[in-house]
Amino acid sequence: MRVRSRIRSPFALVLLTTALAGAACNQDVRQLEDLPPNTPASGDATAGTWRMIVLTGPTQFAVPAPADVSSAAYRAELDSIKAAQAGLTDTQREFIQYWSAGGVQRWNQILRELVARADLPPAPRDNGTYPAPDAENPFADPQFPFSNPPYAARAYSYVSLAQFEALKVAWHYKYLYNRPSPSRVDGGIQALMPITDLPAYPSEDAVLSGVTAELLKLLFPTSVEEITRKAAEQRDAALLSGKATASDIAAGLALGKAVAPVFAARAAADGMRTAGGTPALWQGMANAATARGETPWKSLEDPPRPPMLPAFGHVRAWMMTPTDIVNERPPAPPSTSSSQMQQETAEVKNAVENLTRDQLAIVYKWADGVNTLTPPGHWNDIAAEYVRDAHWSEVRSARAYALLNMALHDAAVGCWDVKFTYFNPRPSQLDPSIRTVTGLPNFPSYTSGHSTFSASAATVLSYLFPSGGSYFEAEKDEAAISRLYGGIHYRADIEVGKDHGKRIGGYTVKFAREDGAD
Amino acid sequence: MVQVVRARLRAKSLLALVLAVSGAPARAQTIEDGLMMPRNNLCTGFLYTHDRWEKYWEGSLKRINGNIGTITTETLSWMGNYGVTDRLNVIAMVPYVKTSASQGVLHGMKGFQDITVAAKYHLLETDFTKHGTLRTIVVATAGAPLTDYTPDFMPLSIGSASNSLSGRLTLTFHARKGWFIHGSGGYTWRGKVTLDREAYFTENRLFLSDEVAMPDVFSYTLSAGYLMPRLHVPISFSQQITRGGGDIRRQDMPFVSNRMNFQKVEALAMYYLPNPKNLSVRVAGTYAVNGRNVGQSTTITAGLLYTFHF
Repeated sequence: MRVRSRIRSPFALVLLTTALAGAACNQDVRQLEDLPPNTPASGDATAGTWRMIVLTGPTQFAVPAPADVSSAAYRAELDSIKAAQAGLTDTQREFIQYWSAGGVQRWNQILRELVARADLPPAPRDNGTYPAPDAENPFADPQFPFSNPPYAARAYSYVSLAQFEALKVAWHYKYLYNRPSPSRVDGGIQALMPITDLPAYPSEDAVLSGVTAELLKLLFPTSVEEITRKAAEQRDAALLSGKATASDIAAGLALGKAVAPVFAARAAADGMRTAGGTPALWQGMANAATARGETPWKSLEDPPRPPMLPAFGHVRAWMMTPTDIVNERPPAPPSTSSSQMQQETAEVKNAVENLTRDQLAIVYKWADGVNTLTPPGHWNDIAAEYVRDAHWSEVRSARAYALLNMALHDAAVGCWDVKFTYFNPRPSQLDPSIRTVTGLPNFPSYTSGHSTFSASAATVLSYLFPSGGSYFEAEKDEAAISRLYGGIHYRADIEVGKDHGKRIGGYTVKFAREDGAD
Repeated sequence: MVQVVRARLRAKSLLALVLAVSGAPARAQTIEDGLMMPRNNLCTGFLYTHDRWEKYWEGSLKRINGNIGTITTETLSWMGNYGVTDRLNVIAMVPYVKTSASQGVLHGMKGFQDITVAAKYHLLETDFTKHGTLRTIVVATAGAPLTDYTPDFMPLSIGSASNSLSGRLTLTFHARKGWFIHGSGGYTWRGKVTLDREAYFTENRLFLSDEVAMPDVFSYTLSAGYLMPRLHVPISFSQQITRGGGDIRRQDMPFVSNRMNFQKVEALAMYYLPNPKNLSVRVAGTYAVNGRNVGQSTTITAGLLYTFHF
């Protein structure tokens, strides 16, 4: 064997080296929004008096008086913190850093992830039918839940509101007992996260860990391991950082776990269990539309899928009574046989066939379809940076998410009521030549969920963060029109949905102006 | 002394090359094959590819989906291969891609996809036995999207919209009687992809970012065939292994950074027409025998390529 030639120029080597340099390509992707340690500007000492929504008042839950800071038992707790701080591991330092951003912020981030993880519709069976997720058998295929937009809106609202109410109770007892945080009592204990004058008993971190974990285990049972681990880490972070002692934490955890069942009981009876309806209900809705002389909505999936939560419009809202839901219901959409409907259908087709790249980007920015944090989650995502930059106390941060998510839940109830009252077909049903550039939601068209959600959210966020008002309005309009660009909504769905959502958000803002926090 | 030996080697290899390509000067076609275009020759033309699949692998679960039916991807590519020297070829490709779904309501997409530019260097030629020679080729390839298409509408997006760099090593054993066997392996690094949205969920995690890290890809091809003056007929087996990325979950949409793996078999024929001279016809059929997070594609390629001698 003879080598007849060899490398004559370094050229090939240069090429290979260039290719290898690709290995160094920066692949760093930011995973979560940047949440630095939060130092609240105010302790919100009066938060224990803020108006309750579900609970009757702070004294609904007894929190016994803590041992005195001069007691031997308390001194022993301080000593154990010192010992633990002397041997901190890197992992412990990491989760102290993580939770120092604030428990409300972190749990909202975690909740968005849980929603996205569970946001997958059931796959059809071979016989063309669809199984329903079963809360009693959550790990089966399909897993429970299918965290679609109404389910997600409801989940965000239960978690946020339960946190808010539990923290108001905690604040009442904090300022009743006024026990300082351990690093304020003993100079030998380091403050490894921002620690303020806020009384430590009961620990707000432990309250949050307890109430949140209990509700999340019911709402997202397949993530139970992650939920309980995060909750334990949050309590450990409070202890190891010098923010709370073992008794502060025990009292907080007990309070959080006592508040959660109140919300779990409400959730069990709020109408969600029957929101999926029955074949007879679905058929009745179609028949009613036909009787009105309208073309009824039908599923364009193959095999046809039952509509998404057709009775969600009867789920209990937070700030609206069932009568309010009916009273705020917009009038019927243009008749499916009207010339206005023809024009609006043509407008959708024209839009989707002539999209600019910017318009397409708007469609994808707001797609929020399967496997996402959903439109309600998108608005939580928008809120997160405003809440971060406000440097609020935990209880005021919780209030922001509670208000936002109550409005989003009420928007889901109101919008679903409209959708299944009118049972109006999608553009691609009236004109099968309309092809969509985003997934076609499997429920009636009128009104647009994105528009209703976004308008309710923008209304509440504009109240909470007036300086962001024009930004929220612009985002709302963009989210709404994205559905026309996507080929899945008529203009009437969008305009009426925005108006409806704004009125729904108004109910929450009206409450907020009077709850004692402003 | 060294100079003399080198000159002699050069003459010999040139002779071997002339023998190998006599009557058919326009052999070099692709980034992966073991053929080279002689100096100052340009082989250029168009390839049409028709790819369709109905079954696909959702993770490792093979299924069909009534909401998309059959996905068809048609690609018209311009390609050119220029012999800078006998040992160095520069190859460029520009594909125009059009996708469609036979069922459901989803809109197809179309547009210019990614330009690919490759430098193919003939590193070594070895008299392996008296029966044949072993040729070693290295290729460096760079790819970049030509347009601002979205990779966020899989499976109807026209591509992954990532920049890429690849290194490839190709070994070809040519028997004197025209048979050859061939192996080629490549490693591709892909740059981050930017989506139009600020949040996505993959690999069991939520990312609050519009940037998606793309896993590297390893691929190889093994082929065997016959090389006659006017006919080049290899059959091949190829495999792509994506070194990371998540699976498509149950009833989920595919995602740009999914772990897209496949094994394919291909039959190819290239024929160099006697008349008109310098024109060659290329026909290939490819079938995916196994995969993960990809469609079970059947692909037909037809091309016409013309060689200019400058």
